[in-house]
Amino acid sequence: MVHPATWLLAPLLLGFFLAAGGTAAGKPIIIGSKQFNESYILGEAMAQVLEARGYRVQRRLGLGGTLICFEALRSREIDLYPEYTGTIEQAILKLPRHATRETLNDKLREAYGLRLLRPFGFNNTYALALPEDLASRLGIAAISDLMRFPNLRMAFSHEFMERQDGWPGLAAAYRLATKPTGIQHGLAYQAIQERTIDVTDVYSTDGDIEKYRLAVLRDDKEFFPQYLAAPFAHLGVDEQVAAVVNELQGKISDAAMRRANAQVLLKGATFAEAAGSLLREIGVAQATRERRDGAFWLTLLLQTVTHLKLTLIALLAAMLVAMPLGVLVYRLQRLSRPIIYAAGLLQTIPSIALLAFMIPFFGIGVKPAIVALSLYALLPILRNTATALFSIDPLLKRVSIGMGMTTWQRLRHIELPLAAPTIMAGIKTAAVINVGTATLAAFIGAGGLGEPIVTGLALNDSAIILRGAIPAALLAVLTEFAFEVLERRLVPRHLLQRLGA
Amino acid sequence: MSQIIFEHISKTYGATAALRDLCLEFPDKMTTAVVGTSGSGKSTLLQHINGLVLPSRGVVKVFEEPIDYARLRQLRLRIGYAVQGSGLFPHLTAKQNITLLARLQKWERPRLEARAEELMRLVNLPLDYAPRYPHELSGGEQQRVGLCRAMMLDPPIFLLDEAFGALDPITRGEVHEEFLRLQRAAPRTVVLVTHDVREALKLGDYLVVLSKGELQQAGPCEEVVASPATEFVRQFLRTQLET
Ligand SMILES: Nc1ncnc2c1ncn2[C@@H]1O[C@H](COP(=O)(O)OP(=O)(O)O)[C@@H](O)[C@H]1O
Ligand SMILES: [Mg+2]
Repeated sequence: MVHPATWLLAPLLLGFFLAAGGTAAGKPIIIGSKQFNESYILGEAMAQVLEARGYRVQRRLGLGGTLICFEALRSREIDLYPEYTGTIEQAILKLPRHATRETLNDKLREAYGLRLLRPFGFNNTYALALPEDLASRLGIAAISDLMRFPNLRMAFSHEFMERQDGWPGLAAAYRLATKPTGIQHGLAYQAIQERTIDVTDVYSTDGDIEKYRLAVLRDDKEFFPQYLAAPFAHLGVDEQVAAVVNELQGKISDAAMRRANAQVLLKGATFAEAAGSLLREIGVAQATRERRDGAFWLTLLLQTVTHLKLTLIALLAAMLVAMPLGVLVYRLQRLSRPIIYAAGLLQTIPSIALLAFMIPFFGIGVKPAIVALSLYALLPILRNTATALFSIDPLLKRVSIGMGMTTWQRLRHIELPLAAPTIMAGIKTAAVINVGTATLAAFIGAGGLGEPIVTGLALNDSAIILRGAIPAALLAVLTEFAFEVLERRLVPRHLLQRLGA
Repeated sequence: MSQIIFEHISKTYGATAALRDLCLEFPDKMTTAVVGTSGSGKSTLLQHINGLVLPSRGVVKVFEEPIDYARLRQLRLRIGYAVQGSGLFPHLTAKQNITLLARLQKWERPRLEARAEELMRLVNLPLDYAPRYPHELSGGEQQRVGLCRAMMLDPPIFLLDEAFGALDPITRGEVHEEFLRLQRAAPRTVVLVTHDVREALKLGDYLVVLSKGELQQAGPCEEVVASPATEFVRQFLRTQLET
């Protein structure tokens, strides 16, 4: 038997062949990014440089995390996105530390058909920072200088305290004797400003370093792994495009990246604006592009419509699969356990992993999101359908058979109508779950109300998060309400009461 | 030849023997009452007639032929079936319950309406009860709707499994009278299962007594009452008729 996934793969493979020659010939170059500040800005920067050289560019920025971006690149749903050498080394290839770019590229080409272009210059890794004035007063420029000041108060994020490539390793490598305390990363900057602590861990390109006027200490024993950002591409991306992006090679210093991050984080610039001034600063031509943020209400409306579209289509698809499956489970009782367990298993897959898993089959955007959402909606509908059918009064079943009704007639006129209230309840549950889960669809570029949430998370701006979260919550409540109205319309009241609804 | 004949019917559920080697002929156009204690196999016997239960051994002949178990539906459409607690479908109104089978058989609307009305009159059901749901009807009214439903296609055979069991004595008396009136007006072959000997003697022409799946006696009611064939029958009738 042919595995069903093969049928899904066939058109995709065909797509590869068609796409292989087509990148330069008019097809837009698709740029992705992860859903945090710096990745957005670098994605924008690559896009703007390409546009300045006359390429058509499509932006798929803000995809959810390494897994999603990597899968999207591998499936050639995107052509380029900014990635870090350390992430490729540790998370993707799982290599021992300090591999060269050549080693990485050999492995990437061989195993995945991908390659890492030239690094932008900066290294976004763990670093230690302390107030600039304190640093210059004490004459501290490198981490080894800290040995001379064992009385400095150090406080590190809990993650940094735990990780082997964090404090424990660092203390051993530099023979530091200080006893640091743990602190939540978000609070560390404030604590340093109030001078309740002196030294903390930072990411070397944090925009906050600018804001709080901190000095970043040189890692003179090269203890921390390198996280050099570079354009990550698949092998179908042609040399001319690579050459354009490589114009950025080595041009972006830690400080320049910090300033660009701070611009978005502290001055409210858009990612496009921050990328534009970054390119201006390093003297690489950028396209003059106007990106107008649409009116607030219009954007909200469009996002809500997309959100509803995702939810509804997924719900309908789930109903079309789960209800017949529920009937099948009821008819062939032997199948009931395996099928219901399988549907339950689907439910336990973390949403990001499920979304990433969809990419090779369905690409990125709306399609994989709908498939993933409908998989989540399967179980409640399936379980309620089967349970409702199983719990129909056996006397009524016996009578309907004894009367001479066919299997189909019984299903259509007796069993399904009797099961309807419970099935409805299952659909309602699925719909409410879907409205919530659909916010995650923004991670694979499907849009919807998750978009402001993702952006807001990247900017650490709760006002933007709420722009998505509040409408999504309202939508969930409305869905619940709409279903109650529908129930009252469709189901005779005495059948509802019988269920205690 | 009788419309319903049991030839050496045995039925076992796992280790339980529900019926043991039953040979019976049910007289045509008469009411046969099947009595026995609870668990004696009455319902099992009845469900052999419309194929809801398959015999472990023996042959059931209905309409002068052994039951064709591949074509049970055609058989069942010609056999009315009513059970205790009415077995009405709670999501359908009284009228919809009554006309369900006829609608599935694609009857013309006027014919369907006329038949439903005729039946409701026959059992003394007010016509304006038609749009009520079962839970909006009394027990007696539900029972009558159940009878109408079973009679809708005018089946030549009629099976009643404790159909009057859940009624209060007064309603029960009324339904009994209606039943007798129906049988006098248009007699059909009825098999009526009951644990109540008084009801059996009132409605039945012919009596079948079961005990632990075995046939104790079968014959015209008066004959069975006058000369019980076994000690069990004598005891059973006496205790039931005394109280
Ligand atoms: N589906 C079944 N599975 C197992 N045993 C059954 C089943 N139906 C009936 N029985 C058993 O068969 C015997 C006769 O049952 P039944 O015909 O319902 O008796 P009655 O209707 O006289 O009370 C009882 O012992 C009962 O427990
Ligand atoms: Mg019984």
